Amino acid sequence: MNGMLNWLDDRTGYKNLVHEALNEPIPGGAKWKYVWGSTLSFVFMVQVITGFFLWGAYSPSTLTAWESVYYIQNVMSYGWLVRGIHHFAAQAMMILLGLHFMQVIIAGAYKAPREVNFWLGLVLMQIVLGLSLTGYLLPWDQKGYYATKVATNIVGVTPMIGPQLQQLAQGGTSYGHHTLTRFFALHAGILPALMVGFLALHIYVFRRHGITVSKSDQAKPAGTFWPDQVLMDAVACLGVLATILFFTVWKGAELTGPADASEAYSAARPEWYFLFLFRFLKFEEVDKLGLVFGALYVPGAIMGVIALMPFIGKWKLGHGFNVAFTFALLAGATFLTAIALKEDGADKNYQAAVKAAEFEGHRAAELAKEFGIPPTGALSLLKEDPRIQGPKLFARHCSSCHRHNGHNGLEQIVMKEIEENGQKIQVEEPATAADLGEFGSREWITSLLTNYSQTFAPLKNAGENGEKFLTGEMAEWVKENSPTLLQPENADSLKGLVEFLAAQGGRRELQPFDPALIAAGREIFKGGKLAQGTLTSNCSDCHAMKPVDGTESLGDGAGPGYPTLTGYAGKQWLQDFVKNPAHESFYGADRNLMPPFEAKLSQKELTLLIDWMMGDYFRSNHVEAGGERKE
Amino acid sequence: MEPSSSLPTDQTTPRRKILAVLGAVGIGAIISLTPLLAGLSFFLDPLLRRRAGFKGGDAEGFLAVTQLSDLPDDGTPLRFVLRANKIDAWNEFKDQSIGTVYLRKMPGNQIIAFNDTCPHLGCKVDYQEASRTFLCPCHASAFQLDGEPMNKIPPRKLDTLESKTDPDGKVWVKYQDFQCGVEKKGAVG
Repeated sequence: MNGMLNWLDDRTGYKNLVHEALNEPIPGGAKWKYVWGSTLSFVFMVQVITGFFLWGAYSPSTLTAWESVYYIQNVMSYGWLVRGIHHFAAQAMMILLGLHFMQVIIAGAYKAPREVNFWLGLVLMQIVLGLSLTGYLLPWDQKGYYATKVATNIVGVTPMIGPQLQQLAQGGTSYGHHTLTRFFALHAGILPALMVGFLALHIYVFRRHGITVSKSDQAKPAGTFWPDQVLMDAVACLGVLATILFFTVWKGAELTGPADASEAYSAARPEWYFLFLFRFLKFEEVDKLGLVFGALYVPGAIMGVIALMPFIGKWKLGHGFNVAFTFALLAGATFLTAIALKEDGADKNYQAAVKAAEFEGHRAAELAKEFGIPPTGALSLLKEDPRIQGPKLFARHCSSCHRHNGHNGLEQIVMKEIEENGQKIQVEEPATAADLGEFGSREWITSLLTNYSQTFAPLKNAGENGEKFLTGEMAEWVKENSPTLLQPENADSLKGLVEFLAAQGGRRELQPFDPALIAAGREIFKGGKLAQGTLTSNCSDCHAMKPVDGTESLGDGAGPGYPTLTGYAGKQWLQDFVKNPAHESFYGADRNLMPPFEAKLSQKELTLLIDWMMGDYFRSNHVEAGGERKE
Repeated sequence: MEPSSSLPTDQTTPRRKILAVLGAVGIGAIISLTPLLAGLSFFLDPLLRRRAGFKGGDAEGFLAVTQLSDLPDDGTPLRFVLRANKIDAWNEFKDQSIGTVYLRKMPGNQIIAFNDTCPHLGCKVDYQEASRTFLCPCHASAFQLDGEPMNKIPPRKLDTLESKTDPDGKVWVKYQDFQCGVEKKGAVG
């Protein structure tokens, strides 16, 4: 063994190298404050290892990027672990970079003769930022897509060459396959290679000048790198790794829904470590000075000052200035981040958008698992999914009048701007039509029959014509009959009538229906006879009804203004109603208040909207059990 | 050369030093092996997980191929494409060709189904009308009509597949791929 090692040493001189690497003297002995550079190298090594393995499963194209990451994260063995480590190690790197930088500034390690190494460090910092930025896009999810778009658009405002730079980065005038192939080449090839090169130089120059030892430590006995400092470095790295693993297990790397250029992403935010810059650009004063100023000149000037620190440090008060500047930057960034987090925390609609984005990611994964992903990509699964598209269509087309369990379908409160005492403030906009969250359910029908004025209460905000609904014949009928219907003796009669009406729509989530109740309800609909007393007029006196089970017609209705109850609240009924509520089998041209949607919604959109309202979409048991649907 | 661990420093006792060395080596091993082992386990995914290559067929996994009446009575093999939903990692491609088979109708309406992949190294064998044999274009493996090898090149006979005929006269085949290059017929995966 020894002979072999000697042979190898003779040919390579490795013993000398190892000796030099390990026995570097440390004046004043090993210190915890020297660990940051080593932790950075360690995390970079972790990224290289996990990155190479992820590379083996990732596919950079707009139709396969999200899909392959979904597959890594949710299907492949230990994929969640490797991706989780890679994801959180990237964030750990940003923190460690900050700590390393602070240590260098405080210790004055940027001063002569270490200027060049300081600049090498700044280059490494830019490479790490580049790796973060390029890596963020690769999963091709909504979050990464929109955050990165902001970055490339900032590149686009660079004076003179902005558009050209942007198109080079994107591989074209817009995002597409080549954006991913280019970002991937940068992320997995060019930037890591530069990183290795500059890191080697950085460590070489560092070794040349040695550790910067403070005056108080110089008096202490010297130590060596091995094993004392190595032990401290290792313990620090272990702490970093444990933190990364903790977040991987506790939170897991996120994957929001697949990127969709056609869909606004209202939860768009950069990753937390760029939040301060995001918030800075939002100041009205900064905005007025232009994007080039806020996004390029200011960060550029700050980097410029940092790069000049070795020279500034030569003056008497220079070091003090550098330290103060660094702490001011840190304080400013912390402050801006805190404001951004606080504002977002108070913004209910932003919170709803974040929740919706997370839900879309889960939903896409759930659909992919159930149906497999078609060649057109996972996005097409979401585009065909009533659970995802229904609420969006509701928010866009219905929520200016209706609500869905109090919100706009997307869990956002509908707001409007008003002027109060000369100030513009946001207030909740009152609905002008019924809340459709429970539409067609047994609860809805019961409420309609016994508490009409409550069910349609928002119509009082709809002006004179709205009032007509609240004082019309049906409202009167309910006023007259609800005391009778609500008598305890009539509980079963009411149930029967409700069951009969609910069965007409045949909504899947209401099944099974009770045939005995339906039969009883049919008699009441036609004859009005309750267990105790009778109705003042029969349902069939006014409303058309051809029961869905094919039994004989109970009436042809009294014409426009008396909506047909044939197939009430079912798919066909809803579709016909939404297309043209003024049709004579519904409200009729005279009473109708709702705009027709025949021309506004395509047949596909209509089907998606109605399937969602009817609860007719794929549900996996574990996600939507326990009433998750109402979220 | 002087071993590094014996270099004295002022504050270090030998006992402390040994502990430091053990600690540094131990923790160093943990922190480097953790990402490496996580990555390797991930890399071993193809061995750790069983995945179907296609979706479809009846409850037992048989795919409908053709009508019994479409097969020649003299036992001449005919090649058929099997169609199902092909699963490739995250993708599911509807109604794709997932493999090809040769079917022969034998006396008594018995069906012999061959996977047309050569058991030698996986090229597709072709039926030769003139010689009434199966021939592999890659390394000249040759098989009789009953699948028995005619030369020493293939390690085993052509791989047969399970098949069945339903009362309507439809022929079903259970498609499988087999490990090439070995004497024993064994399904892949």
